[in-house]
Amino acid sequence: MSTVIAEQNVYGAQFSSMREHLPGSHWPWVERLRQKGMDDFLALGFPTTKLENWKYTNVAPLRRITFQPPIDQPLPPIRKLDSGQTRLVFVNGRFDPAFSTIDVRLNFHLRTIREALRDRKPASGIENHLGRYTRTSDHAFAAWNTAFFTDGAYIELPRGSVCEQPIHLVFIAAGNTEPWACHPRNLIVAGEGSQITFIEEFIGWNDSAHLTNIVTEIAAGPGAVLDYYKIEHESHQGFHVAVINAHLAKDASLTSHSISFGGSLVRNDLNVSLDGEGSHCTLNGLFVADGRRLIDNHTRIDHLRPHASSREIYKGVLAGNAEGVFNGAIAVHENARKADAVQYSKNLLLSTEAQINTKPQLEIRNNDVRCFHGATIGQIDTDAAFYLNSRGIAEHDAKGILIRGFAGEIIDTIRVPKVRGELEYQLNEWLRSVLEAS
Amino acid sequence: MMLRIRNLSASVDGKPILRGLELDVCAGEVHAIMGPNGSGKSTFAQVLAGRDTYHVVADELSFQGRDLRQMPPEIRAREGIFLAFQYPVEIPGVSNLYFLRAAVNAVRAHRGLPELDAVDFMSRARDEAKSLGMDDAMLKRSLNEGFSGGEKKRNEILQMKLLEPRLAILDESDSGLDIDALRIVADGINTMRSVDRAIIVVTHYQRLLNYVVPDRVHVLIGGRIIRSGSKELAMELEEKGYGWLEEQAAAERSEYKPGAKRKRDSAQPQENPQPSRKVS
Repeated sequence: MSTVIAEQNVYGAQFSSMREHLPGSHWPWVERLRQKGMDDFLALGFPTTKLENWKYTNVAPLRRITFQPPIDQPLPPIRKLDSGQTRLVFVNGRFDPAFSTIDVRLNFHLRTIREALRDRKPASGIENHLGRYTRTSDHAFAAWNTAFFTDGAYIELPRGSVCEQPIHLVFIAAGNTEPWACHPRNLIVAGEGSQITFIEEFIGWNDSAHLTNIVTEIAAGPGAVLDYYKIEHESHQGFHVAVINAHLAKDASLTSHSISFGGSLVRNDLNVSLDGEGSHCTLNGLFVADGRRLIDNHTRIDHLRPHASSREIYKGVLAGNAEGVFNGAIAVHENARKADAVQYSKNLLLSTEAQINTKPQLEIRNNDVRCFHGATIGQIDTDAAFYLNSRGIAEHDAKGILIRGFAGEIIDTIRVPKVRGELEYQLNEWLRSVLEAS
Repeated sequence: MMLRIRNLSASVDGKPILRGLELDVCAGEVHAIMGPNGSGKSTFAQVLAGRDTYHVVADELSFQGRDLRQMPPEIRAREGIFLAFQYPVEIPGVSNLYFLRAAVNAVRAHRGLPELDAVDFMSRARDEAKSLGMDDAMLKRSLNEGFSGGEKKRNEILQMKLLEPRLAILDESDSGLDIDALRIVADGINTMRSVDRAIIVVTHYQRLLNYVVPDRVHVLIGGRIIRSGSKELAMELEEKGYGWLEEQAAAERSEYKPGAKRKRDSAQPQENPQPSRKVS
């Protein structure tokens, strides 16, 4: 225990020396927010497996490392997911203007958090939302991010504004020195009746021990329509912890695709508050892992108002000694009449050593609901494999076809063609390496 | 001789299903294998296709002079063996067309033929599908997923036509079809008849054989072919059922001297244990 406190003291010391250089340090409200984050982080400490929410995810490997603040690293040539004209690139948590493109015709605010916090007007817009959807008192990583966040995207769509092109946010981890951590922070505020598609992509460049600890807050006004993609492809030694908090007003709709490919330890917390009548969320997830990697997806949907609906399907493909966790909480509150929630967790294990812990968690405080959940864990269907073999398709190819078919249920629902194509490519690459190793 | 089988036995989890089956099939011939439920018909079909859940023992099991036991299922398929499944498997997320092209190209590559490109393949698949009364939508849907029984059977015939096998084994391709669908399936099979191709039709009923007229009819009971004859034998079975042959088989069996490697078998053939899988 004492070593843990000592390590937190390291981060406390880092905070003291860095705080005045962090974005927004000249605003008292930012200072208060960061201080609260730091206090909560020090009080909580890193979670242990004794906590229900971290039962299957041991962050000890991460706790053993003292992460330094991010270093500046020249950006190497990187295979780019060119999904649209507008792209903000962050390298080790810092905005890189050379690799970024902003379409000047955009009719809404798209800035980096650092830049937006400089001026009074955007800063007051941020003040209304930043930290409002994220509780730091019960999530150490969210608290840590709140204390240390360096940069990220700030998107504010005015009422009725429709963004036709996807906004692409790229977070590149590139380092080869001491272990380091970065804390990006995104804020998306969608006004009434607005519409946007945005993509968060995480790329591990060279294989260095690092932590990406990101918080994304999404506020969807009445009738806003958001299409959100999170594509995680950290390097083998990379740690990735993400908290995404979305707040939906009346008739707002959020579609989320969370796709996890890489990293040695990945934890996603996706929380959606359906805090408006008739609001809706669709949460689709796909995670694939091999080796000794661990991918943990925690989702929570709070039905707070009448007639809200949610659809959720998460699929895991686990090979080697990989571990997967899915914990899907659905809370239907007293006031949420006619709640309509469907949740599936489907998992495919490619080896006898691979593991999945899947748990639905329903908290229903209302009689007038329709709520369904189901979880499956299976292996490659030998009948299906034989059927393909009997048509001349070799064993490995047959497995590949079946796994792609399994993942296809998620990938096929991606509405941005370039993202879909890129994910199909990445999945094929992953399958090739896994099937060749087997 | 295209297919030559001597003393073929197959068991699953130690339960014998086939017990000394013998059969010869020449190119250009159509053979019908008939028998009551549980006689081993589907097991026989699956064993020929290379299903590895069965423990197979035989004095000879050869296809075009080569030992089938040395070939995994995909090699058998590439060499020209095709099984139309009794219960085609539903595979979500894999489009029918993608699957068909992967299968056809795997077989073509084995035969030294160039891959068909997507456009050429599409037009061929469409033409064949049309001849089977299948619409384009069925090609784009996930493989067999949500297909009706009749649609699944037609999709099997479509695969046979595209893969152009040397030996086609049709396992109950007639079951569950109405008369119109039966005619379409039968027409599909008849267009495949040729001097260099053999067809084995496995069926419980004589109905299909009105449309696909066999050269030989075999009755499989208790894991053995106990009678072979011309197409008239099928008529006789339709009239009398299988009961008289089952009695005869039981009588023969009690006289049957087991081979040195095999134990004496006391089970009544009609009480053959069902294998755990969906075969009948």
